[in-house]
Amino acid sequence: MTPTHLQGLALDTVYANMKDRNVADSTTALAAAHVIIAGAGGLGSNVAIALARIGVGELTLIDFDSVELSNLNRQQYKLSQVGMPKVTALKQNLQEFNPFVTVHAVIAKITPANVADLFAGATVICEAFDDPAAKAMLLDTLSGVYPQVPLVMATGMAGVHSANTIVTKRVREHLYIAGDGTSTGAEGLMAPRVMIAAGHEANMVTRLILGQSTI
Amino acid sequence: MISVNGESVANQAGQTILALLTQRHAPIDNLVVELNGQIIHRPAFATTTLHTDDRVELISFVGGGR
Repeated sequence: MTPTHLQGLALDTVYANMKDRNVADSTTALAAAHVIIAGAGGLGSNVAIALARIGVGELTLIDFDSVELSNLNRQQYKLSQVGMPKVTALKQNLQEFNPFVTVHAVIAKITPANVADLFAGATVICEAFDDPAAKAMLLDTLSGVYPQVPLVMATGMAGVHSANTIVTKRVREHLYIAGDGTSTGAEGLMAPRVMIAAGHEANMVTRLILGQSTI
Repeated sequence: MISVNGESVANQAGQTILALLTQRHAPIDNLVVELNGQIIHRPAFATTTLHTDDRVELISFVGGGR
């Protein structure tokens, strides 16, 4: 059942007030967008929360993994969600932050064979994997099947190095890569720096939705 | 000469992309290859031959996001 009121207020009043501080003339375009996020870990969970809060209308979350205790130092899950599929837990969290977003939770491992199906209909695609080979596979495959859909990726956000080494680069016409480009997960991964890279990705996704293709 | 990530590299004309990557000890699984602005899909690394004045860009990834 769809509620007619939230927190004692009519739904349209809640919606309008939640968008009150959005950038002028952004809300309609954001609500019409569909962002597909590959991976729901440190990057993906933070990107998804940022995009849900500003009101991206449709989010698809794809991940095969479940929440583990070791995720909680950087990924946007709760202790009570350990053991749940990540995309199920993230959908639950997103709907608590903003019930006006349509969230599709897809439990799947992304392979070259299912990329065309999984990423159909995206306004912008956001890569949020940990495995560098999976990142390369996704770019390789998407460049063949959806070459005109903007793709925002990340590489290098580990450790406690300076925040200021994380940048967004435009690598090809429709390809953007955020990160420091060098730090690997081996040295440890922590919320602050992972969130910076996720923030870069989420902001680039937002700019692309709003028609701003420069970095 | 060809260019690899903006640096001039000699004696590569006639070699395949796979040979270039192997010679550079590049982590092949973790990168995507652009040749003169076009992405070369992985299965074609062994069959795509480099020519003088080609521009190769290696788009490399490190781990850590998920």
